Amino acid sequence: MDIFTTFKVAASALEAQRIRLDTISSNIANVETTSTPEGGPYKKKSVYFESTPVSFDQHLQDSIDKNIKGVKVARILEDDSPPKKVYNPSHPDADKDGYVAMPNVNMLKEMTDMMSATRSYEANTTTIKSAKRMALKALEIGR
Amino acid sequence: MQSIQAIDISQLQPEKKETPVDQAGKDFSAIIDDMVTNVEQQQEKADMAVQELHAGNAKNLHEVMIAMEQADISLRFMVQVRNKALEAYQEIMRMQV
Repeated sequence: MDIFTTFKVAASALEAQRIRLDTISSNIANVETTSTPEGGPYKKKSVYFESTPVSFDQHLQDSIDKNIKGVKVARILEDDSPPKKVYNPSHPDADKDGYVAMPNVNMLKEMTDMMSATRSYEANTTTIKSAKRMALKALEIGR
Repeated sequence: MQSIQAIDISQLQPEKKETPVDQAGKDFSAIIDDMVTNVEQQQEKADMAVQELHAGNAKNLHEVMIAMEQADISLRFMVQVRNKALEAYQEIMRMQV
């Protein structure tokens, strides 16, 4: 375990949160997408995280290090809840009854998710700042 | 009667051994050398990361920032070690003999 372990852990979290924000931006961008290459309207996507060992040099890790986990995106899954039906007969994707299947993206939920991702990102940058401050304080011992 | 053989003088002389002072000197310079190399590597890594970012190849902005921070801390640490070594040297030089 070195002083840069905190950096590695926080960096993994920063990357995970960035991927989460990418997914949210995809959801918001496609809030009105009625046709996709797979057919049907766009489906909301969500990220799922899993913990992961920090260091790559496994045999050099000590027992403390083994209990410290980073995070990574395990998978991005589509939400299979039914699409919203909107009556709009003039729409090219409307069915024979005149209803259009709109994506199951909830704008409010996406906005709160986005705020949550941003705040998590900030929290992890603060961790890095704290680790740096601690390292610099340690260097002040010699002064 | 056996003739007296000439004795190789070099055998009589004690072998030139490395004194602890020599060893200590070498170790210390090796430590400093390692440290400077390490710091240089960190700086190069940070430089590479910045170049990658400018070229548009970097995946994450934060990785570049972290590489720079690591280089910064390594450099500060080396400067502190250098200060300490210099201080000790000057202290010895001030000693009255």
